Amino acid sequence: MTWTWFHRLGSPPYVYRLAGRLTPWLAWSAAVLILAGLFGGLVLAPPDYQQGDGFRIIYVHVPTAWLSLMVYTWMGVAAAVGLIWRIKVAHAVAAACAPVGASFTAVALATGSLFGKPMWGTWWVWTPRLTSELLLLFLYMGYMGLRASFDDTQRADRASAVLAVVGIVNVPIVHYSVVWWNDLHQASSITLTGKDTMATSMLVPLLVSTLGFSLYFGAVLLVRLQGEILRRERAAAWIREALA
Amino acid sequence: MTIQFDTMAQFLAMGKYAVYVWPSYGLTLLVVVLNIVWARRLLAQSKIEARRRLAMQEEQA
Repeated sequence: MTWTWFHRLGSPPYVYRLAGRLTPWLAWSAAVLILAGLFGGLVLAPPDYQQGDGFRIIYVHVPTAWLSLMVYTWMGVAAAVGLIWRIKVAHAVAAACAPVGASFTAVALATGSLFGKPMWGTWWVWTPRLTSELLLLFLYMGYMGLRASFDDTQRADRASAVLAVVGIVNVPIVHYSVVWWNDLHQASSITLTGKDTMATSMLVPLLVSTLGFSLYFGAVLLVRLQGEILRRERAAAWIREALA
Repeated sequence: MTIQFDTMAQFLAMGKYAVYVWPSYGLTLLVVVLNIVWARRLLAQSKIEARRRLAMQEEQA
């Protein structure tokens, strides 16, 4: 096995061109999956026996909450790779993740609130799941605030990467909070072990929607990544070619 | 899987949960669109800055 593919992923011109080529594929498959998943969730899935049609909020709440954690994991891992091997492209990935992750964490909190009001009778409770998800939003905002306080991109990369890596600790806390503690928030309905607690007709649109949002994140990330790479390159001959 | 609503009005009413369901979907789609706009703006801005840097270097050379 050769490691050339791994080394190429550290090469700004290679990643810039690869990102440009992959974006439309990710974007169009995401659009199809999101539309299909949301149509299935809003129209085809049967109403919940307890929550009626109100449960249809999960088709946007679960994918956005999933994104909030998946994007942070990408950000933290990319930041760690950037710190350890001093790879510029890795720092660019981390920087590209933050605004996307922050905005979808806010959406997960807001749609959760809109879900909580009719089902629990309250917009907000300070339980472990909700509190740790709010902390996740503050971590994203702290990361972006820290970056903004540096003029020099390289310094911003290194300082913010430390925060991103430390904050990874919060990801399993959010995910397992409903298992470790008694939370008003329900436990996961989807598990990797295959013991799903949802009817197939409800589950399929949820999986389709979640996959669609994940691919959508990939497309947005790659566009931002191209921008972040350009910002980090000085006087490189390939930029002249790429912008021609 | 079948269509769960008989009329459009029923669909829009979401079994009395309309005020919670539709804002959730509206907000999510708004942020989906915003992230596309923000990403494209970042890339366009970065291209403008990169071109400016290239032009400055050519002047100096």
